[in-house]
Amino acid sequence: MKGLAIIIFIFFQLWSVAYGADGEFAVSNIPADILEHANVIKRMEEIRFDLDNVSKPKMYKKYVLTILNDNGDNDAVFSESYSKFREIASIDGVLYDDKGKKIRSLKKDEIKDLSGVGQEDLIDDHRVKQHSFYCKTYPYTVEYEFEIKYNTSAFFPYWIPQEGYYFGVQQSSISIIFPKSYTIRYKALNYSGEPEKSESHGNNVYSWRVKNLKPIEKEYAAPSWYNLTTFVLFGPSDFQMDNYQGSMSTWKAWGNFIIALTQNRDVLPDNIKKDVHQLTDGLKDTRQKIKVLYEYLQKNTRYISVQIGIGGWQPFDANYVASKKYGDCKALSNYMRALLKEAGIPSYYALIEAGEGEDDIIIDFPSPQFNHATLCVPVGKDSIWLECTSQTKAPGYIGAFTGNRHALLICENDSKIVSTTKYGMNENLMVRKIDGAVDSAGKLNFYCSTKMKGMQQDDIHERINYYSKEKMMEYLKQTIDLPTYDVVKFDYKEDKEIVPTLSETLEITATDYAQVSGKRLFIIPNIVNRIGTKLKMDDTRKYPIEFSAGYRDIDSIEIKIPAGYEPESIPEDLKLESKFGKYVRTTKVLPDKIVYYRLHERDASRFPATDYADLVKFYEQMYKADRSKVVLVKK
Amino acid sequence: MTTRRLLTATLTLLLLQNYLIGQDKLNIKFGKIAPEDFDLSKYKYDTGASAVIIADIGNTSFIGNTKGDFSLVFKRHKRIKIINKNGYDIAKETIFVYQRNSDEEKLKDLKAATFNLENGKVVETDLDQKSIFTDKVDKYRSKKKFTFPAVKEGSIIDISYTIESDFYVDLRSWTFQGEYPCLWSEYQVTIPQFFHYVAVNQGDQNFAIHTSKEVNVNYSIRQPNGTERSEFLSIMGTATENRWVMKNVPPLKEESFTTTIRNHVSKITFQLHYVQFGEANERHDYMGNWFIASEKLLKHENFGQALDEDNHWMKEDLKAITTGCKNNEEKIRKIYAFVRSNFTCTDHDRLYTDNSLKTVFKKRNGNVAEINLLLVAMLRHEDIPSDPAVLSTRDNGYCSETYPMIDGFNYVICVARDNDKTFYLDASEPLMGFDHLPIDCYNGQARIINKEKPYAIYFDSDSLHERTVTGVVIIMDEKGKPSGSFQSTLGYYQSYNLREKAKKKSEKDVFKDIQTAYGSDVEISNTGIDSLDQLEYPVKIHYDFDLKNMTDDIIYFNPMMSEAYKENPFKSADRKYPVEMPYTMDELYSFSMEIPEGYVVDELPKSARVMLNDKEGMFEYLIQKNDIGIQMQMRIKLNKALFLPEDYSTLRDFFASIVKKQSEQIVLKKKK
Repeated sequence: MKGLAIIIFIFFQLWSVAYGADGEFAVSNIPADILEHANVIKRMEEIRFDLDNVSKPKMYKKYVLTILNDNGDNDAVFSESYSKFREIASIDGVLYDDKGKKIRSLKKDEIKDLSGVGQEDLIDDHRVKQHSFYCKTYPYTVEYEFEIKYNTSAFFPYWIPQEGYYFGVQQSSISIIFPKSYTIRYKALNYSGEPEKSESHGNNVYSWRVKNLKPIEKEYAAPSWYNLTTFVLFGPSDFQMDNYQGSMSTWKAWGNFIIALTQNRDVLPDNIKKDVHQLTDGLKDTRQKIKVLYEYLQKNTRYISVQIGIGGWQPFDANYVASKKYGDCKALSNYMRALLKEAGIPSYYALIEAGEGEDDIIIDFPSPQFNHATLCVPVGKDSIWLECTSQTKAPGYIGAFTGNRHALLICENDSKIVSTTKYGMNENLMVRKIDGAVDSAGKLNFYCSTKMKGMQQDDIHERINYYSKEKMMEYLKQTIDLPTYDVVKFDYKEDKEIVPTLSETLEITATDYAQVSGKRLFIIPNIVNRIGTKLKMDDTRKYPIEFSAGYRDIDSIEIKIPAGYEPESIPEDLKLESKFGKYVRTTKVLPDKIVYYRLHERDASRFPATDYADLVKFYEQMYKADRSKVVLVKK
Repeated sequence: MTTRRLLTATLTLLLLQNYLIGQDKLNIKFGKIAPEDFDLSKYKYDTGASAVIIADIGNTSFIGNTKGDFSLVFKRHKRIKIINKNGYDIAKETIFVYQRNSDEEKLKDLKAATFNLENGKVVETDLDQKSIFTDKVDKYRSKKKFTFPAVKEGSIIDISYTIESDFYVDLRSWTFQGEYPCLWSEYQVTIPQFFHYVAVNQGDQNFAIHTSKEVNVNYSIRQPNGTERSEFLSIMGTATENRWVMKNVPPLKEESFTTTIRNHVSKITFQLHYVQFGEANERHDYMGNWFIASEKLLKHENFGQALDEDNHWMKEDLKAITTGCKNNEEKIRKIYAFVRSNFTCTDHDRLYTDNSLKTVFKKRNGNVAEINLLLVAMLRHEDIPSDPAVLSTRDNGYCSETYPMIDGFNYVICVARDNDKTFYLDASEPLMGFDHLPIDCYNGQARIINKEKPYAIYFDSDSLHERTVTGVVIIMDEKGKPSGSFQSTLGYYQSYNLREKAKKKSEKDVFKDIQTAYGSDVEISNTGIDSLDQLEYPVKIHYDFDLKNMTDDIIYFNPMMSEAYKENPFKSADRKYPVEMPYTMDELYSFSMEIPEGYVVDELPKSARVMLNDKEGMFEYLIQKNDIGIQMQMRIKLNKALFLPEDYSTLRDFFASIVKKQSEQIVLKKKK
C-alpha cells in the first residue's frame, strides 16, 4: 500500500508541473470563513523595520492582496509618499490570476510620480509614487514589495493588518530589529499576548503576527477602527530630525523637542508690539485682552499652508507672519502666542488631531499622532482654546473641529495631555419657534426663528461667513426639505460668545405644503425638523454603539388653520425616555390653530451591541412621529 | 434641427478680418496705484462679490526663436481688489507651464505685489521671490504657485508675467468670465500673415470693443546649423492685430440641470488652420476642415496610426473569441463583449492613446481612446467595417459643429457596420449594453473619423426616452389581511444605475434599502431583479409585500406607495440658463386595491390631467372605485429634454402640480 501511495504522489507532482496546478496565491486556498463579506483578502504581509543603524532606519514591506470585486480596486493600487525624510528605494509588483498564476510584473515606467500637494496647501514637499495593474477580471491578486529608507529616526511605522471594512487577513506580521542598547516602545490594541522575541546579528528582533482575521462589516455609529481590530503602534525613544535631537519616551520629552523647534521664534517686530500695547494696555480684564488680540489676529492674517522639510514640524517665526500676514496652523498659533506674551498673558502651543469626527489620539502612547497645532490660554481655573487658523470663529470657541478631545499641551518640562473644551447637550442647543398659517388650498406661510448654539451652529456659521448673500439665498432655496417652496426673507445674527449663538430668521412660503383631498386637509405640524435616520433592521450587531457629541432640539410650532375645518385625526402625544435619549412630542388642535411641541435630546454615550434592536425601534418611533399628520375635515 | 443643435449653433465663429467698432484703452501700469484706485463705487458690479477683477489684460504675439522657428509670447497683467475675507482665495495664484522634449514654456518677468491703503497712503508689499514654489504635476506639467503677502480686506493685488512658448499650435485661449465679476477683460492677439487660425467665441456676453488691423512686423529667427555657424533669418511682413474687450462681466452662476457650466463661460479659443510662408511656398494644413482633421487624426501616432497596421498579433485571440460565430453581427457582439468585460478603463476623458494597441491588449487596460480604438482594430481585423468617432462629453461641454476644434473633443467611441445596420459601441464601461452609449456621450454632435466621409452623427438627449412602467396590486387574503405585489420595469439608464448599485453592493442590499425606506409598516418578500445580467435590456424589479397596521377606524393611504415625487426637482424659483435634462421621460404607474372587508371608501383623490406647454409634456392621474376596489393610473410624460429659461417657471409649476397630486390620500372608513 505504501508503494502505491508514493506512486500516486509522484504522478500528481508530474501532472501539476505539466498542467500548471494552482499557485500559492490561488483563490481556492482562502479559508471560506474569511471570504464571507470580503472585498479584499490580505494573503500575506511581511514588514521589517530595521533600526540596525538607528539614525537611518529602513523598512522592508511585502504584501499580497486578493481583490474579490470592484469595491476592492482601491486597495489594489500601490501608493506610498516620499519626502526628504523618507525615500522609496525600490518597488516591485506582480499580478496573478485567480489560479495564482503570474500574469505579469510591474514595469518601472508604469510607476506614476505624483505631487503630494493637497487642495488646501500652497506647497508641500511630499510626493507620491503610485502604481496600478488596472485589472478587472475578478478575483485577481497583486503582490508588492518595496523598501523605504528614512533620513530621520522620528517616524516609526504602525501596524493595522486589517486595513478597513470588508477586509479579511490570512496572515500578516511585523518585526522590529533594533540594537540591544536601544529602547523600543510599542503599544498593542486588540492583540493577545506578547511579541515573539529573538536575536539576529547581535540585534533584538520583536515580532507580532496575526492569522485568519475575518472581515468586519460596517455598522451604524460604530466605535473607532482601532477599537475593532488589531493595532500596534511603535515609537522611538531618542530620535533625530534634521539638526534637532529629541526623545519620545514621554509626552514631556516629546514636548521639549517641540519647544526646541519653536524656541526664539516668537520675537515680534516693533510695529506689531506697538499695536498690541495700543489694543490692550487700556484693558483690565484678561479675557477681554485675549478677545481683542484674537480679533486682531483674525483681521490681519490668513491661513496658508507651506510644508517643506522640517517646516512640516517647525513653525515659521513671528516675524514671517508679521510681514507676510499669513501662516499655517503652527505659524499662526506661534504668532498668537507671541501677541499674548507681549500683552503679558502666558499661553501654550498645543498639538492635536483636528477635524470633525476624527478619532481621538491614544493618550498613553507618546508618538506623533497629530495633524494640527492650536493654542491654549489658561485664565484662572479655565482654559481658553484659540483656533488661530479661523477667520470667523468666536474668540475661545473651537467647536467640532478640535473640541471634545485630547491635545498635547507644550510647556517647558511639563508637556502633558489635556482635554479641550467639552460641548455637550447643554451647549449644543437648538431652540426653534415657528409661526405659520395654512390655507384651504394647502399653502403654508411661516416665520421660523431658530437659535443655534455651540456645535449646532458650526455649519451655518461657515456658510453665512463664506457665502455671499445671493449664494446663501440660493442655498436656502435648495436645501430645505419641503415639496415646493420659496424663501421670502432671511436674516442671521451672530452672538460671538465663548459658546456662540447664531440666530436665524426665515420667512417661507410653501405652496402645497398641506395635502388636500376633497374635503380633507393633511398637515404635518413638524415642518422643518424631521429625523432623517432610518436604521436597517435585520442587522446582527457586533460592536458597541457610540454617539459622539450630545445635543438638544426644542421646537415650538403654531399653525393657523382655515375656518370651517374640524380635526378628524390628531397624532397621540408621545413621550419616549430611554438611555438613547429623550423624545417628547405633543400636538393640540384648537379651533383656529395647531399647537405643536417637540423635544429631542441625546448625550454622548456608548451602548453594548445588544441594545441595537431597541435603538432601531427608538429611531423608527421618532421617524414616524416626526412625520405624523393632523387630518382636518370640512365641517 | 433639434433644440440641442440650435444651441450649439450659438457658438459663433469669429472671422479674423478688418472691422472696427470703437476705440478705448485702459491706462494701467503694473505697480502704479493711487489712493483713488481703491474706490470702486463708480463701477457697477455684483455687490455680493468678495473680490472684483479690476483688469485682466492678455496679449499674445509671435517672435522668432533660436531653434529656427517661431515662438509665442503671452503677456498678462491682472489687477484685483479683494473686498472681503471670502475673496482671499483669489490671492493664491497658480501658473501652469508645459514642457515636451526640447520644446517648453518659460515663465519670465513675474512681478506681484499687494497694495494697501493705510492712513490715506498706498503701502506696497512685494512678493518675495523665495516664496514662489514649483510643484511638478507630471512629466510634462509644472505649477508655479505663490500667494500674495499682506493681504487684507480692501487690498489691491497686482500681477504681471510673461510666458514664452514653443507651442504655436496651442495659441492661448482667453476666458473673459469667471467666479468673480470683472470690470475689464481684454485680449489682444497679433498673428503674422503666415499663420492662419480659426477663432471660436462662446458665451452670452458681448464685446464692448473688437478691433482688427494690419500692422508691420519684423521677426528674426536663428537657425542652429549643427557645428557650422548659425544662420540668421530676418523676416519682414504684416500681421493682423485683433483686440477684444469685455466690460462689466458678471460672475458665472452654477445651476442644477445644466450639462456643464463650461458651455456658458464667455471665452475665445483658437485652433491652427494652416501655415504658409508666401504664396509660392507649400501650405501646411493643420485642422482647417473635417477632411483634413480626419486625415490628420488617422495619421496621428497617438490616434489612427495603429489602425493602419495589420495587427497580426491579435489573430489567435480573435480566433478564440469568434469561434462559432455564424455571421458578422454575432462577431461584433462577441468582440465587443470581450473588450468590455476584460479591459479596465483608466481615464474616461482622453482623445489620444498613450500606449500601442498591443501593449493595451497585453495589459488589459487603457484610456477610453485606447480601448475603443482597440475595438475598431479588432473589428477591422475581422473585415468588419468600423470607424472611430470622436465626441465631446456632456461634462466637457459643447463643441463647434462647423470647424473641427479638435481640442474640444475628449472621447472616442466605435461605430461598427453590418450591411445596413450601424452599431454605436463603447467598450470602456463594463455594465454598458451592446449598441448603448453612456449618457455622458449624449451631447449633440459626434464625428466619424475616416478618409472617405468624415460625417457628423448626432446623439441628442431628446432622442433618449426613459420609460418606466410600474404596477402595484393589493389584495386581501383569506383572513382579510392586505398584501400586495410590486413590479417595475425601469428605463435603460435607471437600469444602468441599479446594475451599478447591485454590483457595488449586492442585490440583497438593494432590497434592504427598499425595506428600510418603507419602515416597519410594509414588509417585503419574494424579491427579485430580472435581466440584471442582460446588459442590453432594462431591468425589472419585483417583490411582494404585506401591509401592517391597516386596522384603524380611518385609514389614510397613498396609492403612489413609495413612488411619488416628494419634492419638486426644480427647487430654485428662477433660472438663468436652460434646463438640460439627460433624457425625455415617460413614467407609467398603475395601482389596484381591493377594499378591506368592513371598510368603505370615504374619499378618493380627484382625477386630473395637466398639460405642459400644449404638447411638451403631460401629467395624468386617473382614479376610480367600484364595488370591490380602487383602480388608479398615473402617467408623467416629458417629450423633450431641453427647456429654455423662459419656460422654467412653467416647468417648475408642472412638477409642483405632480408633487401635490401624488401626495394625495385615499381615505377608508370602518363601516359602522
